[in-house]
Amino acid sequence: MSNSFKIAVSSTDLSALKSRIESATFPDELDDAGWAYGVPLTDMKRLVARWRDGFDWRQEELKLNNELPQFTQDIEVDGFGSLNVHYVHKKSDRGAGIPLLFVHGWPGSFLESRKIIPLLTKGSGDSQCPVFDVVAISLPGFGFSEAPKKKGFSLSQYVEVSHKLMIALGYTEYVTQGGDLGSRVTAGIARRYGGMHSKAWHTNVLFSMPPENDDPSSYTASEKEGLARWQEFQRSGSGYFQLHSTKPQTLGYSLADSPVGLLAWIYEKLVSWSDNYPWTDDEVLTWVSIYWFSRAGPAASIRFYYEVAHSGQALGTKSSPPTIPMGCSLFPKELIRIPKSWYPGVGDVVFEAEHDKGGHFAAHEQPELLVGDLRKMFGKVARHFLRDVYSSLSVSSFTFFYCLQAKNDGV
Amino acid sequence: MSSYKIDIPPTALSTLKSRLENAVFPDELEDSEWAYGAPLADIKRLVARWRDGFDWRHEEQKLNAELPQFTRDIEVDGFGTLNIHYVHKKSERGLGIPLLFVHGWPGSFLESRKIVPLLTAGSGDARLPVFDVVALSLPGFGFSEGPKKTGFSFTQYAEVSHKLMLALGYTEYVTQGGDWGASITKEIARRYGGEHSKAWHINLILAGPPETQDPSSYTAIEKDGLARLQEYKRSGNGYYRIQATKPQTLGYSLADSPVGLLAWIYEKLVNWTDAYLWTDDEVLTWVSIYWFSRAGPAASLRIYYEVERAGQGIGRTSDSHIPTTPLGFSHFPKELGRIPKAWYHLVGNVVFEVEHDSGGHFAAHEKPELLVGDLQKMFGKSGPAFGVVLGRNGYDG
Repeated sequence: MSNSFKIAVSSTDLSALKSRIESATFPDELDDAGWAYGVPLTDMKRLVARWRDGFDWRQEELKLNNELPQFTQDIEVDGFGSLNVHYVHKKSDRGAGIPLLFVHGWPGSFLESRKIIPLLTKGSGDSQCPVFDVVAISLPGFGFSEAPKKKGFSLSQYVEVSHKLMIALGYTEYVTQGGDLGSRVTAGIARRYGGMHSKAWHTNVLFSMPPENDDPSSYTASEKEGLARWQEFQRSGSGYFQLHSTKPQTLGYSLADSPVGLLAWIYEKLVSWSDNYPWTDDEVLTWVSIYWFSRAGPAASIRFYYEVAHSGQALGTKSSPPTIPMGCSLFPKELIRIPKSWYPGVGDVVFEAEHDKGGHFAAHEQPELLVGDLRKMFGKVARHFLRDVYSSLSVSSFTFFYCLQAKNDGV
Repeated sequence: MSSYKIDIPPTALSTLKSRLENAVFPDELEDSEWAYGAPLADIKRLVARWRDGFDWRHEEQKLNAELPQFTRDIEVDGFGTLNIHYVHKKSERGLGIPLLFVHGWPGSFLESRKIVPLLTAGSGDARLPVFDVVALSLPGFGFSEGPKKTGFSFTQYAEVSHKLMLALGYTEYVTQGGDWGASITKEIARRYGGEHSKAWHINLILAGPPETQDPSSYTAIEKDGLARLQEYKRSGNGYYRIQATKPQTLGYSLADSPVGLLAWIYEKLVNWTDAYLWTDDEVLTWVSIYWFSRAGPAASLRIYYEVERAGQGIGRTSDSHIPTTPLGFSHFPKELGRIPKAWYHLVGNVVFEVEHDSGGHFAAHEKPELLVGDLQKMFGKSGPAFGVVLGRNGYDG
């Protein structure tokens, strides 16, 4: 049963944070270090000063509560008991929207749905444009969801809890959108619940291993550049990944005790993973505050990496791709881009869009582009193609599909 | 040159206490023990002790009483003058062999504490050589100044170490190093070997692999050593990867949270030792050196970045110039890893080698008698490096 939820950080927590920031101790910095060694000191000092005086959490909290209808409900996860899950749920403005589950990653959160929700639920004014019912979950251990207490809560469990949430909301059939870890979760949903429940999935991060007869000489220039960026990421940008995957608790003491440390840890990714996105200080601080004030604390969120690495589901582990229709949106500053020849290892790509701007946090950086892609993929334009795909499915899904058409027609 | 006594200002002590009093802890998964990192119960207990009970002034006094310390300015090409902190204790009898002890991370000059008295003792067996010991705080560690510019790597660490020995009047000397100290003393042997560095001894031996290998020829111990290295790379080098790529980002945490710093270092103190029975005060003294360090804890991480950028990191497979200076090894079973004998030529000219059946990465701290025993054998009258330093062979006259 769902309960209405409003973010309401206690004043004790707010003053504790302020007090903590007031006593912040900064390291020095090498001359001309720039961004090479990590976040520059001037950025940090400026952000911390703003966080201390000026940044108004209560105002941000109010805006969030006004924009995003939030709820919590208990979801049972096999072997882990009941977890209280926080989520955003906004229905479409007209008709019955396509149920869309949005799954964030790290260092993301439900906040990443903020800009796309109004576009997805309102539509464009054009009756041809599909509208959606959007569910943006806070994954267990993130945002205002409870975290698991036991070891081993890995992809399977994230998949299970996400699916069960949709079912609990009455969406026996739905589609998904995910980036970062959310891409892995939605791939898992597509694999386990695809066909019967998950009807199609869309992602902005594609990862797969090269196929057996891979021919690197056939790669396009942008595919080569994409792979080179991935290699550079592994060489110089994946330290956090290795650490999260092996000693999350050791790092967790720092992230839990130092808001400055947490800010640096996240801010570095917000900047280096986005495409010249003009982050405002308050935007960054709102983002990081979600982590600081999260129900389970910032240390909990990074365990996801450890669990995945230790459950035989690490990146690069071979697994059969989902068979349901898949869409992808390629943004140039995403961390990885695989050659088209690797796509069969990812899924059945029926929709692909390539953009010339945008990075890892697509829903936040380029909401119109991402939503535009989702509208195209699920809209009438694709209907004809999707019909062929669906023709082989059961009557119930067929009915669902025609219902979709009817709902859109009847607008 | 100035005499030095550690004397942390009272404001620093009270700030630390205040920080510890306001510490915020994460939760922990049930039954996670050491798998995810340092356990919560350990960290809470240590923080409680650090906050109430641990007496830094008392530890400081002991250190000052045991270890004669000094500072002096050393010029480093391209980096200006750095004020270097070091321990310097002369042998109590005879002509001590000048020995430079070089620490690594998360070590410090503190690691020389137990071996200094053993190496310099006048009262021991007269058949054993004695040493003059110099244990420097590497720039950016302990009470030495840190470099202000980018690019301070092995070349510079070797230069400052060598210049310190020269400044102390030791034109010829020998070295002992573990962790980064092993690489730095290798660089010293490479640059200053023959004329100045007359022999070097290390307890972390990593190089290779060579162009061609024959794994079937490896002994069981060698296979185990390589396996430990593989495991380290698989599950134990997250700290290395982050320190080598984004030390500044991590530095904000370690500079602002003594709890975070404690966990960061304590995890290595336990994981890298061989069932060593750390007392809480021992750990806290060790970590306090980092917390109260002159350059701050973030500075000490940069060596990883600089070394990797210079192409000299742990993944480096070949050296352009292997030093010919006589080299000694001490193998401790719980070291991070170990390479086969077949790869030794990539490290140096091995003239002395000892196997131990206990001890880990922090050999000088865990097994001071064993390490000193090895040095006494290597440099003693019947050892392969006897008399390498002209006029100072560790005996009388």
